[in-house]
Amino acid sequence: MESKFTEMYQKEPAEEKDGACEQVADMLDSVVDGEASADEQKFFNSHIEECVNCFESHQKQKLLKGLVSGHLKRVIVPASLVQTIKAKIQETI
Amino acid sequence: MSEQTGKQLSKEEKDARFEAELLPVLDPLYNFAYRLTLDEDDANDLVQETYLKAYRFFDYFEQGTNAKAWLFRILKNSFINEFRKKSKQPAKVDYSEVEGYYNTEDVEGDNGVATTTDMRSESVQDLIGDEVASALNTLPVDFRTVIILCDLEGFTYEEMAKILDIPIGTVRSRLHRARNSLKEKLEKYAKTMGYNS
Ligand SMILES: [Zn+2]
Repeated sequence: MESKFTEMYQKEPAEEKDGACEQVADMLDSVVDGEASADEQKFFNSHIEECVNCFESHQKQKLLKGLVSGHLKRVIVPASLVQTIKAKIQETI
Repeated sequence: MSEQTGKQLSKEEKDARFEAELLPVLDPLYNFAYRLTLDEDDANDLVQETYLKAYRFFDYFEQGTNAKAWLFRILKNSFINEFRKKSKQPAKVDYSEVEGYYNTEDVEGDNGVATTTDMRSESVQDLIGDEVASALNTLPVDFRTVIILCDLEGFTYEEMAKILDIPIGTVRSRLHRARNSLKEKLEKYAKTMGYNS
């Protein structure tokens, strides 16, 4: 995934790839997980408005999280499990 | 009732609280167990053991605190102590099958646009789910665990740190490495689905 994007946006001026981008990259997880502080979030938002690289990275990170949260199927709990648990608990007393 | 009564519950009170506060976590707990063990019977055993321990140590559970996190922590510890050694190796995933499936139309036409899959259709949703599951199952169990806790169960970093008995900094770095690894596994698949262009 990385290489394709690097190729696409290589035309970006070199000075865009500065310390801010690195900071934003480090914040990607906490941002998509809702764990960033208000200040971090503010810095992040204003940066991705101007930086297409970081904007794309953010989109990809959201997508990845969404693949797990939105598509991973939940397994069905066996119908007998609750009764088994209750029975075992009564046995052990 | 004050919280102090937690230490002298009658059996009836204890059973009632156990059912009301802990049994509702059964579904996420079973899912977590399944994602750890990758085996339904093992998941079943692990969940039973977790609830037995929870019942035995119920006096240590503070009413009104996070029952889900507490149970997940017990289950994780049981898994490490007893199940990890015998849990089955994750199956190797062969991406060529999926790749072949999605590329069949390309063989004739060479028109990438026409093969754009309708992401809303139910069968495609199923395929994505299967593919995410396969990719996830190939990850080391520590990586799988943080992704499940965070993305599927929605625990905060702080809750994850408590469940896993690791510092928050370790939660962050482990999650970061886990996601990079999952990204890599899904890379090929993402390309075939047009996510990447
Ligand atoms: Zn940037």
